Amino acid sequence: MSRLTGTPFPYRGGGGGEKMTGPERAGEAEENSESVGMLPMEHLHLEHVLQTVCVLESVVLRSFGPEGGQVLFTRDTGQAMLSRSGTRILTALRLEHPLARMVVECVLKHSTVTGDGSKTFILLLASLLRMIQKTACKEPNVSHTYNSRETAEASTARHLADKMLAFALEELDDIIAMGVVPYGCCLSWEDFTAKTQLPTCPINHCVQKLLASFFHSRLGRTHCDFISNLTCEMLTHWKFKSDLPSSLLQFVNDNFSALHTPVSGFPISCSRLIEGQVIHRDFATPCPQADHQPVKAVVVTGCLQPKLLSAGEVLVLGSGEQGREENSRKESSIVQFTAWAERSLECVIAKLQSLGVSVLLSAVKQSAAVLALAAQADMCIVECVSEDELSLFAQLSGATPVSDCWMIEPEHVAALTFCRPILLGAHRYVHVAFHDSEERITVKPCSLVICGPGEGQTDQYACAFQDAIRMLLSTWEPIDITATTASKKTLQPNKSTCLHVDNQIVKASPFQQCVLEPGCVIPAGGTFEFLLNHALLQHGSSCSISDDTIMGAPAVSQLFANALLSVPRNIYFYSLRRFLQTQTRLLSFIQNHSHPFSHVYKQEHNTIVVQGRGKSECPLEEGKLINHCCGETDVSSQVFMSDSGLESVSCKYQLLVAVLQCVSSLLHVDTVLHTHTALHTPSRRLADISWEGTEDEAED
Amino acid sequence: MKVIQARRERQDKISKLMGDYLLKGYKMLGECCDVCGTILLQDKQKKNYCVSCQELDSDVDKDNPALNAQAALSQVRERQLAAQSTAPSQAPEMNEGPSSSQASVSVPLPRPEHCEGAAAGGRALLPPPAVPSPSPPAPTPTLAPTRPPVIPQTAGLQPVLQEAEEAILTKLRWATNQLQSSASLESSIQLCSLIASCANSLRSLKELSQ
Repeated sequence: MSRLTGTPFPYRGGGGGEKMTGPERAGEAEENSESVGMLPMEHLHLEHVLQTVCVLESVVLRSFGPEGGQVLFTRDTGQAMLSRSGTRILTALRLEHPLARMVVECVLKHSTVTGDGSKTFILLLASLLRMIQKTACKEPNVSHTYNSRETAEASTARHLADKMLAFALEELDDIIAMGVVPYGCCLSWEDFTAKTQLPTCPINHCVQKLLASFFHSRLGRTHCDFISNLTCEMLTHWKFKSDLPSSLLQFVNDNFSALHTPVSGFPISCSRLIEGQVIHRDFATPCPQADHQPVKAVVVTGCLQPKLLSAGEVLVLGSGEQGREENSRKESSIVQFTAWAERSLECVIAKLQSLGVSVLLSAVKQSAAVLALAAQADMCIVECVSEDELSLFAQLSGATPVSDCWMIEPEHVAALTFCRPILLGAHRYVHVAFHDSEERITVKPCSLVICGPGEGQTDQYACAFQDAIRMLLSTWEPIDITATTASKKTLQPNKSTCLHVDNQIVKASPFQQCVLEPGCVIPAGGTFEFLLNHALLQHGSSCSISDDTIMGAPAVSQLFANALLSVPRNIYFYSLRRFLQTQTRLLSFIQNHSHPFSHVYKQEHNTIVVQGRGKSECPLEEGKLINHCCGETDVSSQVFMSDSGLESVSCKYQLLVAVLQCVSSLLHVDTVLHTHTALHTPSRRLADISWEGTEDEAED
Repeated sequence: MKVIQARRERQDKISKLMGDYLLKGYKMLGECCDVCGTILLQDKQKKNYCVSCQELDSDVDKDNPALNAQAALSQVRERQLAAQSTAPSQAPEMNEGPSSSQASVSVPLPRPEHCEGAAAGGRALLPPPAVPSPSPPAPTPTLAPTRPPVIPQTAGLQPVLQEAEEAILTKLRWATNQLQSSASLESSIQLCSLIASCANSLRSLKELSQ
């Protein structure tokens, strides 16, 4: 009895189930197997799975690649939006089929990690399933006895998928490291933009180029350079000199909602960086013109004035002294209590005034008395600030939020350069800038203003920004390695520059000193798939030929290799000739330069290439040859002659592993049980699809 | 091999059509069609729609001799080869076969007809009263009525034509009613194309009866 285990895929589906009298299923699919007999079941076959995924593939196919088109979304209200983003297209489809929803969930989860590759995911998924079905239909595993041909096919397919997943988890990163990485290069975190590079390099190959190709495929070629420059500028401002790229990118990713302001109604070229932080609320009391610096601010998380009578509370009134006679009755009324509460509030405000505080940032709504007293004391209050923004403010200013208003100490006071209203689009926000402190002297906090023509477009641009950050994060993050491979390799996460290849390698060959290093990129346009295809075929042929069945390692790698080629085929869908040209060029290149570390070539054009230790470049455009030189000479500059853009190797690797996991989960489902009740509350992501309880259960 | 290829092409066509419909706003249901096993779609008027049954040729009916004259012919030819008996006993059978199938045809299939070249075209168009489906956006190209092959069988032809005419008129009336009350642009376009194809088929029926 195999269950869907270990996969982060919720597979609750929606859709009209039939009315049934069986017990209601509440909970995970792993329970309640005894009630199976009463539920209407539907057996899934390989064709169903394939058809579902092929339908999704045909939906995303036309927007795939740099030459892909855009999808126009219209609403009944007349709003229209153009988009090319795979996640947006897939979430806009109305899907009630449980498998389709499962696939879309996988894509969304993958996209929250790497930020890119949702259409490639579907394409690879479809082509893998096709290959598996073709192989399974040809030779079903005859060693077991099965009821029907379909069951035999299904079980063969399942085994194939499991084998491929195991292969990917164990050997794929080695193959990538040996077969693909030598043809790419490592981006250094220091080389942000072209300006930081040495003048000997004619073409910039840097983080900005990587971002430009990402934005090109996401937003079109008109604005990709502008936006990638903006992103680089923002990251430069936030760079902590002593830190890793991954911690900076993680910080920006986590706080992105507080670090950007969407403004609709302006062209995108009006997007800019603003110094400091923008708090997305307006002042509740008029802001006094404070000319003196620094402006002091305090973050308050609760109400300054204690609430008198909330539901469920009992207020016991009594006088302070025990044993008073008739006077006590007069003094212990509610009026005295409210007067006391307001007096205490005055004390709090006086304390704040004594500390010189003039701005109060509050997480909740303050009462009218607080507002009045604060206005009298020349303090301005900003109410209902979101938690993310408050925590970012606290982090940047170094002041802790006040939890108990009776104890306000100097450590709660933040020093700001200014705090004033700012008009962005149709809204007025609060703009603060932080005083330079010693710890933060290298960081200039800045906030991003993203402009777009309409609300939908602006939202798209903001999502594209965040996905770019996620993509960079997964490029520079050390690869998630399993326990078995952890012993083989050591990563050095403390180096912020490009890693040298001093790591211990499995096969200690002098040529194969490559690991899947952080920051590794490769030219875009299908190069990764071609190279990996070639490497997999070689690996398959070099494996032992004793295992000749379809489950053997050579067959598995061949299947995988053939499935990979569907990606470049669809990139060049407009011209088969282009596809074949690129393929032959790459293959001939690989054959000529099979040992990238042992040859030195003369340059053909007037371009200078200096090769660093353990790296090689391959320009793959228009027949320019690469120049390698291997050796121990330290590199001072690197050149990457490619006009087709860059893409990140680790994102691709994660994509492949995620696709194989999805394939394996899909093929392990073989029964659909229709239930009547809703199993889960509606997910916020798929908000327009109602969850009406169709459920999958894996049974063998 | 050709069968596999044809089937794969058909599946590709089905996927492409379904993808188009999904992008138009149709909903993909969790149920499959009873006839062909394709995933059902549901449009905004909550009507279920099966792409392969209602748009593409059926894969299976091509080979069913009761519905397809060519299949009947090939079946008879096979029997001839197998039995190796003389032709005369088979010839009237051959001529009877397709026409008898036409005279007794009463298959309520919402499928477009196709003229099949030399052999008599196949199936009468009887719009289904039970299956709720708006006309497919790809309108039926030609609706040829039943045509007797070589032997004129006018006696058996008239009732069939009349039935066909009645059915088309009913459908025309229904479509007109729907058009009057329709609020959506898509369905209006589809209904207009249905009316146009009904008119075409009426015209061809009238030509035939002359």
